[in-house]
Amino acid sequence: MLPDELLSQLNTEFPCRETQLRQLAALYSTHLPSPPLLCAHGLTATGKTSVIKSYLSASEIPYAIISSRECITGRHLLERTMAACLDAREELSARKVDRRPYARTESINTLAVSLGRMMEDWDGGKFVLVFDGIDSQREAPPTLLPALARFGELIPNLSILLISTLPLSSALHKPGIPHLHFPSYTRQSLLTILNTSPPKIFPVPPSADKFPGYTPELAAEDDAWLWNRFLGAVWDSLSKNTGRDLVSYKNTSLRLWREFVRPVVDGTFGTRDFSRLMVNRRHLFQLEDSVLDRIISTPDTTATATAAGKDVLPATPAAAKKAAALGAQHDLPYYTTYLLIAAYLSSYNPSRTDVTYFMKHSDKRKNRRHHASTKLSAKKSRKIPRHLLTPSPFPLDRLLAVFRSLLDGPVPQVADVCTQIATLTSMRLLVRTGQGAAGDMLDTGMRWRVNFGWEYVRRLGRSVGVEVGEYLVGGVDV
Amino acid sequence: MSETEHQKCYIYAPPLPEERASKRQRTSKSNPQKHLPERLQTYRKIWSHQEEKIQATLEEADRVTQEKIVNFVSVASQPEPEHRQVSAIPTGLVIAGPSIASHGPFFERLGRRIRDDTNSAYFVLTSGESPNLKTLLKNLIKKATSRVDDDDDDDLGRPSTSSKNGPKLLDFDLGHLQEWQSRNRVQSIVVTIQDSEAFDASILIEIVDLFYSWLDRLPFVLLFGIATSSESFEDRLSGKSLRYLEGQKFDVTQSSEIIEKLFSATVASTDIPLRIGPNLSRRILERQRDHVQNVQDFSNGLKYAYMSHFYANHTSIFLDENVSFEHLSSDMFEAVRILPSFRRWVEGMLEEGQTQEVRQLLQSDQFLFENIIHLVKSGHETLSALSIASTVFTNVRESLQMSPDVPLSSIWTRAASGEMIGSPLLRETMLLIKKIPSDKLVQLLTSMEDLDTASFTIDINAYRHELADLVKRNVNSTPLRSQHDVRNDSLRTTVVAQKVLLSKHKAALSEQDKAYSELVARFHDELDDYFTSTFINPRGLILSEILIYDLKSPHTEVFQPRPRFAIERALASPHDYLGCECCGADLGENGEVSLSGTQPSTAILYQMYLESGALINVSDLWSAFRAIAGDEEEESESKTMALFQRSLAELRYLGLVKPSKKKTDHIAKTMWKGL
Repeated sequence: MLPDELLSQLNTEFPCRETQLRQLAALYSTHLPSPPLLCAHGLTATGKTSVIKSYLSASEIPYAIISSRECITGRHLLERTMAACLDAREELSARKVDRRPYARTESINTLAVSLGRMMEDWDGGKFVLVFDGIDSQREAPPTLLPALARFGELIPNLSILLISTLPLSSALHKPGIPHLHFPSYTRQSLLTILNTSPPKIFPVPPSADKFPGYTPELAAEDDAWLWNRFLGAVWDSLSKNTGRDLVSYKNTSLRLWREFVRPVVDGTFGTRDFSRLMVNRRHLFQLEDSVLDRIISTPDTTATATAAGKDVLPATPAAAKKAAALGAQHDLPYYTTYLLIAAYLSSYNPSRTDVTYFMKHSDKRKNRRHHASTKLSAKKSRKIPRHLLTPSPFPLDRLLAVFRSLLDGPVPQVADVCTQIATLTSMRLLVRTGQGAAGDMLDTGMRWRVNFGWEYVRRLGRSVGVEVGEYLVGGVDV
Repeated sequence: MSETEHQKCYIYAPPLPEERASKRQRTSKSNPQKHLPERLQTYRKIWSHQEEKIQATLEEADRVTQEKIVNFVSVASQPEPEHRQVSAIPTGLVIAGPSIASHGPFFERLGRRIRDDTNSAYFVLTSGESPNLKTLLKNLIKKATSRVDDDDDDDLGRPSTSSKNGPKLLDFDLGHLQEWQSRNRVQSIVVTIQDSEAFDASILIEIVDLFYSWLDRLPFVLLFGIATSSESFEDRLSGKSLRYLEGQKFDVTQSSEIIEKLFSATVASTDIPLRIGPNLSRRILERQRDHVQNVQDFSNGLKYAYMSHFYANHTSIFLDENVSFEHLSSDMFEAVRILPSFRRWVEGMLEEGQTQEVRQLLQSDQFLFENIIHLVKSGHETLSALSIASTVFTNVRESLQMSPDVPLSSIWTRAASGEMIGSPLLRETMLLIKKIPSDKLVQLLTSMEDLDTASFTIDINAYRHELADLVKRNVNSTPLRSQHDVRNDSLRTTVVAQKVLLSKHKAALSEQDKAYSELVARFHDELDDYFTSTFINPRGLILSEILIYDLKSPHTEVFQPRPRFAIERALASPHDYLGCECCGADLGENGEVSLSGTQPSTAILYQMYLESGALINVSDLWSAFRAIAGDEEEESESKTMALFQRSLAELRYLGLVKPSKKKTDHIAKTMWKGL
């Protein structure tokens, strides 16, 4: 049996996983035989991989971990498995293994034979082979999982441990497999885990001359106190309903923390004024920005902070971001903009209404459209606005016709227009659809679809002075 | 051909025609390509200067952005002790704008800088070479290790020598990269996804996932080239991948700004021997604004114009600085004598009665040569003065903060077409200068001091000193005002017999203001004189054909071809191309060519096709076709039918019609004329 202090050490390292650690300790110990197959499962961020890895390395049982994320094909997985086993063995016995017989692992059969041979050469001792995330293996052969499940029976002393998100029982075609469940952390466990490492309130500690009484110990105590309450507030207001797993919760909390404690750093509130701080910073908990994962972390927090200091209700970061995005938008060439608008209109307007909307000589356009909308109003209650539906495909000539009717004055029939369509396609703003999508670009039967939304096209239209909503069937009430 | 029957290949020698083709009619022995090598050499010399300028401008244009990216990379690759437990891949989102063609050169320049300035490896991946994850990884590894691709063992990709020393890594295993990293010890591995939009979203997600899982062994930094916006890029990735990425956004300079800079460096600069005319430059700029925003295209257009001038214009040889009389043949001088501007010049001289000189110009090559050299030189100077004046003018407008904001390119184009004198733009600017208060004049003079003053005649320094004296003596805190300033006017209302009379009165000017007004008036007059003397019409220059290239013809055809228009026109009015008597003879009332049996059968069918709706009844089409193309006799009907079928097949081949299932015996029209 594993020494108790090792178990307790792992327990402090991974809080709230006592049951799982105890089960692992019971199943995999140096002296007692281990099960030929174990399936560990649990949702993401429940500590499956790290707990198992730490346990195995601490308990000094020879093992190898193969991560399926890093394996591009099924064959790749087999090759990596073999290499990892050989590496583990070499490391353990501290002598070179003759690798020549194991040069190729083309199939699962070869792997079985090679592993068998390797285990035979090994002087006793057990070996645990861990397949991490085996259920998301790319290009896995259908026999992979059932075969791996039977490795433990075929090869003595070998234990297979499969880690997956969901229980694998049916995919293995094998009854009676022991499963080890890693349940999602409860609120209490999450708080316990995150409380182990509270972030600092003051990024730079207050100067010792001004506040001689404020020792680092006191600061750490304050940090822990405020962080604990803050975590509870974040959970109840945001994370409970958006991201319950450890990583999302942690990310959300860390994203909010700096902004949350700003009044404390400024000196407006004391470190323990939690309730006043909550009231003052309540807008943080009303927005969704902190919940969303973004590549660009909130830009320039100091700038928003100064704005926030002055305003009563600070400008929401979302609005600020949107404004920044608008400014940074690159201008498209003039005709390209019109092409995109035309594409949007041909995607969202039914082709039979084109005559009403785009014929040059029908100067009663406005009346007719108005008429059309009144006719619609009878069954309006059921109609979804067109711009909320998926775009429908259109032929290229229709796009060009709408394009020309949108513009005043003639447009020369130059090849540049086609070039622009090709450019837009490679920018994925226009997409080819239908049966011809993979085929000939010049095929006239080719149909196209737009790949951007109403907001984008409205902005485009305003940049060239076209109100797109006026041309859209049914109108837009935004 | 008996011996060729068993040969695998042979050189086909067509039988030589007995007599020469009738079309060739040139009989003289003269060499049409005389002095071509010299012209090409001149061209190369001049163009290489321009190209250097273009390169320098481009480097300068995105220097700031590149510096930021380089900084980001070097910071990201710094091993921070507390961040050793890496949480995310450092990611730069490079918003490179919608001109896809300039992404490649941009990332190439960026790569050079990253390799030079930081201890990083830099690899560019494009969508074309990465159809799936496996190929992408293979390519990446190949680029890193510069390993030769051995194409055995198809997609399993294992080198054949493997079985000697145990398992080898597969081709797409990032273990190769790890091995390479352990040898080279670079600080970061920068992987650039050049055209992120064109990648499958699934591939991007997989790369991010894979790179993240290797991040503890390989220091990856990702750069994504984005044409649209970072939001739309983020929308394409899954939430999980976004969590693995963390970074910044970098905006590349808008290509319209770069084009503006390029224009002032190449077309509107001072020391260039050959200039692009206003029409051509307007065309190039318009194309940039309306169709493509692309730096490469701009420089290609410029290059093509230079090439056209030097390849096709014999007189361009005089642009060579070292041209000497001995090497030129008399043909060159004949060519110069034909030039319209030369004729105008000579006629002008005749009117003035300088017959002696005209005779010499027409008879003596030596005299003409000297004159040409002189004229070309003075033409250069005039044109440079024009460019400088445009720059000065733009500068004045900028420092006066006048609206609308007119860029240098459009001012230069107007100036070069001789529209500047008397234009509202110039008048408005000069009026504003009359009213300028002293604080703005100081700014204006300061900004003008930075200009290239070689041919700028106004002595800015003198004005500055004078103004500084005046300002020093000014006791009030308000700036000095000239007499034309509206604040020196006052309106006086008088009511006479129930009519309101408004009268303007000049306020009494102080002593300083009077002196200042005098200074401003002098400055205004001098500037006005300067603009009047420099904004001449360049087309009136003697020998402007040599100095300016402004031909529309080959440029439009090369850069803006109209394939669809050409096909449609050929089919709709074949007479335009055939030029035969039979088809052109019967012109309709409104100038349109009507149908006739003598036209090509496909053209006849196409014109009928144009008149029909979206669905065409083939039987109707056939009877209409027979009425025009066929004759009454029964036996020729099969021939007409054959023509009809062939024409219909041709229309289908062109993609104009396709079979339809909507109605029996009908075909669907798929293309409309004029789109």
